[in-house]
Amino acid sequence: MIPYQMRLNYTLRSGWLAPFFDALDKGDALGRRCTACEAVSYPPLRVCPCGERDGEWVRLSGRAEVLWRTTGADGAFALARFLGAARMATVRLNGFTEGTRFGQLTTADQELPHLCLVPVEDVST
Amino acid sequence: MTSIDDSKVIVTGAAQTRFNRRKDNSSFRDWAAEAFNAALEMAGIDRAEIDALFVASESDFFSLQLNPVALFASELGLHGVAGTRCEAGGASGQVAVQSAAQAVLSGQARHVAVIGVDPSASSLSGDMIRTLYGFSFDAMTDGFSGVTATALYALSWQIFAAEHGFGDDELACVTLQNRANACANPDAHLPRTDTADEIAESPMIASPYRRLHCSPLSDGAAALILSDAAYVPAARERASRIAGMGAATDHMHLGVRDDPGMFSAKRKAMQHACRHAGIAPGDLGLAEIYDSFAGAQLQGLAALGLTDAPGADLENGAFSPNGRCPVNLSGGLMGQGAPVGAIGVAQVAACARMLEGTYHEELQPSSPPAYALADTHGAVCTTAAVTILQNGGAA
Repeated sequence: MIPYQMRLNYTLRSGWLAPFFDALDKGDALGRRCTACEAVSYPPLRVCPCGERDGEWVRLSGRAEVLWRTTGADGAFALARFLGAARMATVRLNGFTEGTRFGQLTTADQELPHLCLVPVEDVST
Repeated sequence: MTSIDDSKVIVTGAAQTRFNRRKDNSSFRDWAAEAFNAALEMAGIDRAEIDALFVASESDFFSLQLNPVALFASELGLHGVAGTRCEAGGASGQVAVQSAAQAVLSGQARHVAVIGVDPSASSLSGDMIRTLYGFSFDAMTDGFSGVTATALYALSWQIFAAEHGFGDDELACVTLQNRANACANPDAHLPRTDTADEIAESPMIASPYRRLHCSPLSDGAAALILSDAAYVPAARERASRIAGMGAATDHMHLGVRDDPGMFSAKRKAMQHACRHAGIAPGDLGLAEIYDSFAGAQLQGLAALGLTDAPGADLENGAFSPNGRCPVNLSGGLMGQGAPVGAIGVAQVAACARMLEGTYHEELQPSSPPAYALADTHGAVCTTAAVTILQNGGAA
């Protein structure tokens, strides 16, 4: 056996997703609206499922409805639809109880930026 | 697409090591050599006759070996051959098989070697592997959240299960059958005989998936020799042959898919493979299915078109060892194990041996069918690759 420990210090570049991550860092949701079909993707897609490459950044409220969820040893995760977005997104859930359906995007409490929801009463409040 | 010349690509050699967690200080190099030497002996050719080497290995993080194909060319005595490393997550092995078959079909190679290998169990801790697997999805938008493969599979399964009215009973049924098959497979990692209650009481990993619904992390290797029919030794002329291949991708983000419970890439890959082979899914007489989790097997069977009623067919034993299309006689990933790069290669090896009538005695179908299916995918079926093998008449 040859024990070996290696620590890798990455500097990852966010590239075209920079506006999305800059907003996420402040707890804001920045999606991408397709110029052809007007569907909003969040997290943003470079190419819309309709095939269109052009799009514009649009600010969303950050409110979302949790549609499917799973809970286990590594935390709670869900497929949630953000208000204004056409499709679901993968999110981490913080502080959700079993009956809670709605959440608000929040700044992540972990090292890496990611979509994280905290519970709210409903998406209109 | 045109049909594959059904006499062109012969599986002349097929072998694998035992899949398990190695504690004997053996290396992935040793496992690859063991599988390769066995496949070469079965093929009855000299290593100098091999023109190309294809290596399936999911991640350099596991082995700490970049450019593994060059390493294996040296380790296996194949100095000078053309070398290609293939990677598509869990589908890596099948992608290597298909790339190798294409090399034969194109006329660029007479005999090719395929090696699938990964030290998925013994090099890193389970927690570290789980972290790495989280980057199998869009690492920046999904992986950074700490979401695991199990969690994403669980979400996909829930959607499929809601559509079909499935629950824990169906998960237990798949788990029990695959692990029971593994009990007759001496190469299997998890030949377990748990009860349904024990499955239901195992720790929750990501609801509804419990530990016993999951495939293990395994070490191991598998190898194939694929040959142009014009150069096959006489003793192997009636070996199994590759009749159809298909591969496809799906949206990387689960939530973007039209139906996140449906493995659409698998469906598309299967349609390509059946068109190549000139058969329908109903013509398949056995299948090795990518059962990374118990529910994934049922999602796979539905996507592949092997059933229109997965619940009823599960209940009536259609996929049991004596059913109309036995599934995962090897035990699948859940029973035999999952050294990632080796999975697809081992599936093709198992199908080839079952069609030839030389598989493990207790698991060998008494009347080998005309066609068998090897099915893999990577991530939550973001990449899919399936291969159809045809009985060459050896059995």
